[in-house]
Amino acid sequence: MPLQLNLLHEEILQHRQRQRDPLKLSLYAAIALGALLMLNYLWTGYRVLQGKSRLNSIQAEWNKIEPKVTAAQKRADELNGIIGTTNALDGYIETRFYWATFLEKVAHCVTPNIQITSLEGVIEDDKGLVTATLDGVAGGREPRSVAEDFRQMLLEQVGKEQPTVKVEFKTLEDLDTTVAVGGSNETTAHFVVTVGMEPFPKAATPAPTEHKARPKKEES
Amino acid sequence: MNKEQVKKLFLGGLGLIALLYVYFSFFLGPLNKSRDAVQAKIKDLQTKISTSKAEISKAAKLEETAHSATVRYDALRALSPEGAPIAWFPPRMKTFLSTHQIDKGTTRLETNSACKEKELADWSRYLWIIDLPQADFESLGNAIAQLENTNPLLSIKKLRIYAATDDPELQKAVFTAATIIYKK
Repeated sequence: MPLQLNLLHEEILQHRQRQRDPLKLSLYAAIALGALLMLNYLWTGYRVLQGKSRLNSIQAEWNKIEPKVTAAQKRADELNGIIGTTNALDGYIETRFYWATFLEKVAHCVTPNIQITSLEGVIEDDKGLVTATLDGVAGGREPRSVAEDFRQMLLEQVGKEQPTVKVEFKTLEDLDTTVAVGGSNETTAHFVVTVGMEPFPKAATPAPTEHKARPKKEES
Repeated sequence: MNKEQVKKLFLGGLGLIALLYVYFSFFLGPLNKSRDAVQAKIKDLQTKISTSKAEISKAAKLEETAHSATVRYDALRALSPEGAPIAWFPPRMKTFLSTHQIDKGTTRLETNSACKEKELADWSRYLWIIDLPQADFESLGNAIAQLENTNPLLSIKKLRIYAATDDPELQKAVFTAATIIYKK
């Protein structure tokens, strides 16, 4: 192996030592780290600016929408109020009791030998009950059976629309007076009939239906 | 490494720690805070916008579905004319009854009160007593039928028909009608 002489040995060593100087290396590392941190800072700053610009555009969109949504909320509240009121009024309308229909039924049941002298009807809203009291006079050979026929006919007529109806005698008594019916004198009986019905039971409210009262045609 | 260098390194290390602390606390920290705040605001606004859009479309749908209710509500409200009910209801009843050949009749107010239902806060309930001293049963029946059919917010609560002693052809009638009237 040939002998090699390195005459620059010391110079190279010094150069290497200079290169490996920890202070210098730390300085480089610090500069690199500083650059990285600066880049990171700039990048973060850029993202913040980007976010702010996005926020501005969203804020502008919100500013456009906000009056609309406020108006929409107000209108929705108003409409819900209207719907609620209309439903409540419809409920009131649908649960009305039509007296004209009832009077028509009564008129159908009154035969020539029956005279109604008084009719009194009451609606008890809290109980959902309708009661009517009919005071009258029945004339005939057997006035009590005439009154009973009237009661049964009334039960049948009213019961067609009101299955819960109850028609009962409150009073039925013979009278001393006689009346002329069809040219002959007949004995009379005084009666009081009560009609009780529950057209709109509280437990099961019926579905809304078109229930119109009809004008009565017959006279009692 | 000699002692001088170790000292320099140590000082350098301390300087680095101080630099990092300053960087993260006074530079990057506020920036990140600001970014987080912006993000939170964006998220908040986006949520608001999406719920608002949903609410706007819901209101538009409600507007469509409530059309019939609105029309009906306006129609029911139109049944209550301007002015105090005591001023217009009795004359209206008088005119109505006279069209059914019932000329004698008085209408008086019994009570009036606010409706109990919260949906009907703008409506009042009036109770009227209608006294008809001379009425033919058939005319009365027709009048009641038309009254019930043409006045959906009127309901007869009490009814009394009895024979008039002076004229057997005519009856006396008294009825109590409840009406729901819009408060103007």
